[in-house]
Amino acid sequence: MALSTVLERPNVFDADELESSVMTTDATDLRDLFEEQALPFIDQLYAAAMRMTRNPSDAQDLVQETFVKAFAAFKQFEQGTNLKAWLYRILTNTFINTYRKKQREPYQGTIDDLEDWQLGGAESTTAMASRSAEAEAIDHLPDSAVKDALQSIPEDFRLAVYFADVEGFSYQEIAEIMKTPIGTVMSRLHRGRRLLRDLLSGYALERGLGTAATGHTQTGSTSA
Amino acid sequence: MTDCGCEKAKAELEEYLHNELRGEDASDIQEHLAHCGDCSDEHLVGRTLTEAVQRACRETAPEDLRDQVLLKLRTIQSAH
Repeated sequence: MALSTVLERPNVFDADELESSVMTTDATDLRDLFEEQALPFIDQLYAAAMRMTRNPSDAQDLVQETFVKAFAAFKQFEQGTNLKAWLYRILTNTFINTYRKKQREPYQGTIDDLEDWQLGGAESTTAMASRSAEAEAIDHLPDSAVKDALQSIPEDFRLAVYFADVEGFSYQEIAEIMKTPIGTVMSRLHRGRRLLRDLLSGYALERGLGTAATGHTQTGSTSA
Repeated sequence: MTDCGCEKAKAELEEYLHNELRGEDASDIQEHLAHCGDCSDEHLVGRTLTEAVQRACRETAPEDLRDQVLLKLRTIQSAH
């Protein structure tokens, strides 16, 4: 569903208006245009910034910085091309250049080279009664569990999953946003989703979801 | 349109899920999913995963963030 919005051209001006607005661009027109076109993405950019920085105050700073940079570069933005992807590129760049340095994750930069077994996971799904039970269990997990799981997978995987599954960007768009070859995007996405699935199935099992008999909970393990 | 079999379906399920397959490639998988319980369950897990992530990641920017951004843009502009 998010997909349908990705490739839409900004429909704010018709060609004549656009041309004249570019010809007579004074600073105020440009700002109005920017506010009208870019600002509606603020909730989406904030949501992405939250998954990147993991806290509201850094997320707000990151979004602000993104808009400032985007505004400064807006003259170079080619009207009619994908503004949303352009904004995400700036967001991701800004995040990587400023915030990631502060956060320092282990294995950063070499994560694509790690083998699956080094990343953990992959053992829980076998305990599920069936795939449909697994789907149902994942469906019943609280948002907090899903967010925890997302936060615990390697950052590059998390971003790829976020861009594809939440924002509906195409693999090609993600490759451009993350500045990686498309094959790397596919691998990050695949491995990220695999890890996520294993974590969520694990949570579900801990909560007594997805086991063979519904209502047959584990022996007094979890309370919430 | 032909049923592509489990091996191909499993290999391409994720691309199918993300709308990366076009034309016959997509319809082959579709056809297979319609007849294979195992693969369609796998597809269901994948879709559920996507939906769970979408649901969990919904956020609304704080009220004053928009105001701060607007203020900042105006400040930058008047500095030029």
